[in-house]
Amino acid sequence: MKIPQLHPDAAVGTLPHRAKNDLMVSLGLAPELPPDWRAKALRRFDELLHQRRSLALYMDICVRCGACADKCPFFLGTGDPKNMPVARAELLRKVYRRHFTAAGRASGHLAAGEELTDTVLNEWFTYFYQCSECRRCAEFCPFGVDTAEITMAAREIMASIGLAPKYVTEVLKKAHEVGNNIGIPEAAWIDGCQFLEEELKAQTGQDIKVPVNQAGAEVLLVPPSADLFVNTDTMMGYALMFHAAGISWTTSSYASEAGNFGLFLNYEQLKKINLRIVDAARQLGVKRLVMGECGHAWRAAQAFMDTLNGPLDFLEPPCPEHICELAARLLRAGRLKLNRSANDGLVVTYHDPCNLARGGGLMEEPREILRAVVNDFREMPADTIREKTFCCGAGAGLLTEELMATRMNGVKPRLEAFRTSGATHLATPCAICKAQFPVAFKHYAINAQVVGVMDLLGKALVL
Amino acid sequence: MGTQFLSALLYVSAAIFVIGMGCRIYFWVCAPVPLKIVLTPAPKHIPGVIRRLTEEVFGFRALAKADRSLWIPAWLFHFSLVLLFLGHLGGLVIPHLAQTALGLNENQFEGMAQVVGGAVGLLAFVMLFWLLIRRLILPRVRWISTFSDYFAPVLLLLILATGNAMRFMGGLNIAQAQSFIAGWLALHPVAPPSDPVFTAHILLVCVLLIYIPFSKLVHIGGVGALSPTLNQRNNPREHRYVNSWNKANENSPTSS
Repeated sequence: MKIPQLHPDAAVGTLPHRAKNDLMVSLGLAPELPPDWRAKALRRFDELLHQRRSLALYMDICVRCGACADKCPFFLGTGDPKNMPVARAELLRKVYRRHFTAAGRASGHLAAGEELTDTVLNEWFTYFYQCSECRRCAEFCPFGVDTAEITMAAREIMASIGLAPKYVTEVLKKAHEVGNNIGIPEAAWIDGCQFLEEELKAQTGQDIKVPVNQAGAEVLLVPPSADLFVNTDTMMGYALMFHAAGISWTTSSYASEAGNFGLFLNYEQLKKINLRIVDAARQLGVKRLVMGECGHAWRAAQAFMDTLNGPLDFLEPPCPEHICELAARLLRAGRLKLNRSANDGLVVTYHDPCNLARGGGLMEEPREILRAVVNDFREMPADTIREKTFCCGAGAGLLTEELMATRMNGVKPRLEAFRTSGATHLATPCAICKAQFPVAFKHYAINAQVVGVMDLLGKALVL
Repeated sequence: MGTQFLSALLYVSAAIFVIGMGCRIYFWVCAPVPLKIVLTPAPKHIPGVIRRLTEEVFGFRALAKADRSLWIPAWLFHFSLVLLFLGHLGGLVIPHLAQTALGLNENQFEGMAQVVGGAVGLLAFVMLFWLLIRRLILPRVRWISTFSDYFAPVLLLLILATGNAMRFMGGLNIAQAQSFIAGWLALHPVAPPSDPVFTAHILLVCVLLIYIPFSKLVHIGGVGALSPTLNQRNNPREHRYVNSWNKANENSPTSS
């Protein structure tokens, strides 16, 4: 995508709504900025510098070469220089230099240090919520500086002094209270599963289960909750695959959410939300844990779960397994019969969710499945796929109405690549991408549809 | 400038450099890495990690992917700095050893130093000068630049310029320089060559040594290899990874 001209402050007005006091308190966070917020923030910053080598190293090692500058979809989309990853990081670094380095303490200005003021805090709340923690910048950094680590630290500092977005905290509250991000209570979860069973019966004429809380099932499948009510074809795809392969499985009404918005706020929440899945697997006595089509859920589960709430040695490896890994394994073993002409007429391309590609290296299996189940599969340009994939523009807590400008700007590079592919269907295993793209397609008048990988597999299965 | 002053300043600067870098690296090495945050695709085993780090540290692999027009001058500049360092080591610190190792007589050795040293010195200067120009003419890079981003290249350009001046305009008594360095290393300082360009060169190097540990130049010597996104193995499912400040079985999160 063409590198835009710099438009300083182009995106300065787009920031999340603040969480109200009761919401903050319910998550154990400070309700509002205390009078000594500045000292508190710096204290939290100092703690994080001692807890995370990534943060400490990335505060010092950047040479501002600019290699990352034109790699960020939010900079490419807005032209706002503070959306260049290096500039976003500098928002935190300038405070670091002022308060935590000898040079900054001695000569604030020459060392490019800056006091933590109201203005700076407002900048943080704006621009650290215009970053989707997609890590595309890190891919191109000679030191592996990961802006997601910096964004996470900044958000964690802000949350500790009572500044957090309404959207992220609301979702977390629902996840704690009912077990999923949408707020579907247990009875509705069970109803939803029954409804899909009826739907499957109508489509196939067979009794295909969408089980809930089946103790002793072989597999616990944890889908993003959106799969039950919004991306129902994905949910039915899981059910069809398990049915065809003859694997007993279940969902859990306690852990009915793969997504983990803790990743977008702080370590404590990340860990607590993650624990629900481990507890559910233990209580249901399943043998294996499979994660559904959700990008950041895969990072939180695959890379972090064992560290946060392990050991997971009561489950069989690979633990957790991604639904696409499982499907590809079953395909290779010849346990799934396919009729891919069922998907004829579709021109399909694959969008790598950031967290699958750069946060877990899961890039081949979805393609393997798609090549097996559709006749016309095409790739988008090479510098926009796999580990160089562009974010959908809505990850990391940006999928909310008030950030629509950020989202519609952030999605531009991905859409430009999608247009060149000539595809009619964009397949992606991520609930956030699936929520974002239809809005973006409409906004930019693109006639295309978003589907899950398992949707297409389900349609091509011969039962 | 007197023997004592220049040597003493060089001792102080070298000490600040060694202790400063030592402290920085020690802090980073000891700092906990709570989670697996490796950038994937990533190797699962140590030999793969070593290959990845070697490619990054010596080849600037990520930069090559990011921007060829930055990678080429950046790599050539850093490569020529390494050669210049080795040249100084071979020509001034261990000349006899280097001469014997290369199997050259004194004239051949001197001739090689003149040609290779001169070429590499020029290359380093030109590449760094271009990097500085790039910083000024690319609006997005100019926008992110701070004082340090100009101070560091200007300082290095001055060091290179004074070094090149001695190389091309002659005047420097190599033997005197060698004995100055030998004396300095043996902690028995002797008089430096009485060349003002040499004095300037050494003074600028002192500034550089003091500046490195406290600035972005802290990136020298492959410190980027400490980055968890690059040096971790991608094996969270095969090998349990433990967070040293929050072990999983202490079932209460202790983040704040």
